[in-house]
Amino acid sequence: MHTFDYPQSRMLFDRACEVIPGGIYGHFSPAPLGQTAAFPFFAARAEGARFQDVDGNEFIDYMCAYGPMILGYAHRAVDDAFRNQLALADTVSIASPRMVELAELLVERVAAADWAFFAKNGADVTAYAVTIARAATGRRKIVAIRGGYHGTHPWMQAPGHHGIAEDDHRHCIRIPWNDFAALEHVVAEHEGDIAGFIATPYHHPTFGDSVLPAEGYWQNVEALLRKHGIVFILDDVRCGFRLHRGGSNERYGFHPDLICFCKALANGYPIAALVGTDALRTVTASVFHTGSYWFSAAPMAAAIATLQELDHVDAPRLLEIYGRKLNDGLIRIAKSHGFTLRVTGEPCMAYYRITDDESQMLHQRWCAECTRRGAYFAPHHNWFVSTAHSDADLQRTWDIADEAFRALKTAA
Amino acid sequence: MNNDLLKARLNLHAVLRNLEDLPELDTRAAEMIRAWRLAVCFSVHGGPAATLEFSEGRCRHHAACPPHPDVKLFFVSPAHLNAMFAGNSSPLPLKGFSKLGFLKHEFAELTRRLQHFLRPEPERLAEPAYLRVHTLLTLLTGVFAVPHLAALDPVATEIAAATPRGSLQFVVDSEGPVAHLVYSSNGVESRKGALEQPSACMWFADWPAACRILSGTLDAFTATGKGLLRLDGTIPLIDNTSLIMERAAGYLA
Repeated sequence: MHTFDYPQSRMLFDRACEVIPGGIYGHFSPAPLGQTAAFPFFAARAEGARFQDVDGNEFIDYMCAYGPMILGYAHRAVDDAFRNQLALADTVSIASPRMVELAELLVERVAAADWAFFAKNGADVTAYAVTIARAATGRRKIVAIRGGYHGTHPWMQAPGHHGIAEDDHRHCIRIPWNDFAALEHVVAEHEGDIAGFIATPYHHPTFGDSVLPAEGYWQNVEALLRKHGIVFILDDVRCGFRLHRGGSNERYGFHPDLICFCKALANGYPIAALVGTDALRTVTASVFHTGSYWFSAAPMAAAIATLQELDHVDAPRLLEIYGRKLNDGLIRIAKSHGFTLRVTGEPCMAYYRITDDESQMLHQRWCAECTRRGAYFAPHHNWFVSTAHSDADLQRTWDIADEAFRALKTAA
Repeated sequence: MNNDLLKARLNLHAVLRNLEDLPELDTRAAEMIRAWRLAVCFSVHGGPAATLEFSEGRCRHHAACPPHPDVKLFFVSPAHLNAMFAGNSSPLPLKGFSKLGFLKHEFAELTRRLQHFLRPEPERLAEPAYLRVHTLLTLLTGVFAVPHLAALDPVATEIAAATPRGSLQFVVDSEGPVAHLVYSSNGVESRKGALEQPSACMWFADWPAACRILSGTLDAFTATGKGLLRLDGTIPLIDNTSLIMERAAGYLA
């Protein structure tokens, strides 16, 4: 099997370093990939479940832009909706009818939603949700899960990170995932001072296994938060619309006050949404929050088309079927080579780790060997599948994984 | 937080400790200590202690005072020790009065030699041999600072508590494993040399790359993309250690 080289990606990276701090910033930075040399840095085009890098190498994409892509790249219906709206009006001096239509669509499909608000990124709406919780309760503290990610705003950063002051996270209390007793403890300890509790539907940290909610966890959490008047915020930025058409809380049977959506909402077009209950409508209207492009109509049109298409193909079911097949096959192939591949989290966005080496160097090498053969695997983030991933992609991925395991054994 | 106590521990156990390696890296320093046979103890009231033991052309650093050192230098407080390191104070000699001349001249010359490598004039970094010694001593200073920062700097303590248990190896491609850190339930330990199976590895392509990364003139994101730095294994160990290590500059600047 042919393995890839990346001369054009590297030349572009050198140019990037001259004019962009770090060359490529944020979660697209090559830094956490481990075996950096095996990865492309710049994409030239993308279609369906695949992208092509600037060196002409083609990859089956299991990161899906780290979540936004859910229906496949260059999806005709979504892109047409975007382009048509762009031709009519995008960012103008007044709001678009698409904003009302998208809000109506979200209120119709998300049981917990009586209203919707739009922004651009996940952090725009997680930060807004926290502010609303404080405004609604008159309290200061926010409880979050240790290892949970809700954006890069200072209040959500870990201590010691560059540019973060101690006061920035003074009112953010971190507790372990699935530990209801810990939540009870902090609620008692800070009685009357906790404004909100924010968490993802299940625990999907980077650099660690995903963990599903324990039996009864969410129901206990909901009851406790209700009893103490604490605003219940679901960060559904990463999972939203992948696990259930109406929000991931439907999958696990609980009822948040506020839900943050982003990533898959418009199949890659920039938009985020906060939805909430009627009880928080008035206070939300009073908490001022806005951005220059938050009324951009073309991504709203793309979001409407995406939500309709997700329903049309019954996306959560398709994603789960593909995810299960992918995972079962990879586990079986690993086992045939004497390796143990641990797969955690929901099947359509699982976290993978070869457990034969606790340091994860072996896992990094396997992801590198797969990537340089055409299956794009980031080693320390959950992967994603899309409705565009086909049986042919699946077979090709298994073939690549098989040869990558063989390459590991040869190197050893 | 008692900054002076942490600073004193860093001065004794991260900076002064480099005298153990300097003669092995620098022929002039080796020549200076060739005939020395004595143990010099630094003792801080209510603070740390350390001993430099010179014999057979080598220097050994110990994190305590032996019962009968040849020279015992006493400091009334951590601040007193730190003032001496800043060149603004003198120790109180409790033992070894006959060696005062040695301390004032020969030993002082050795410490100036250490400073020559730790605080480089920019043009000297163009000399590969100088750059190697400077970078190695800078790296060792950082590695040996981590346990003390993790114990006494409040932010570093919080970072260390959130760091996965395991070991981190520092490797320079041309040199091999240089030093390592071990995070366990007992705290953090630093050691020179190689580990058989580290949990993580911070690999530098060469000494110039290591020098630029450690001095902050090249960021880790650019360096990894360019292949000058590789982060293998348990990456949170590396991330968190970097954050802790960077805090040393705030005390030693």
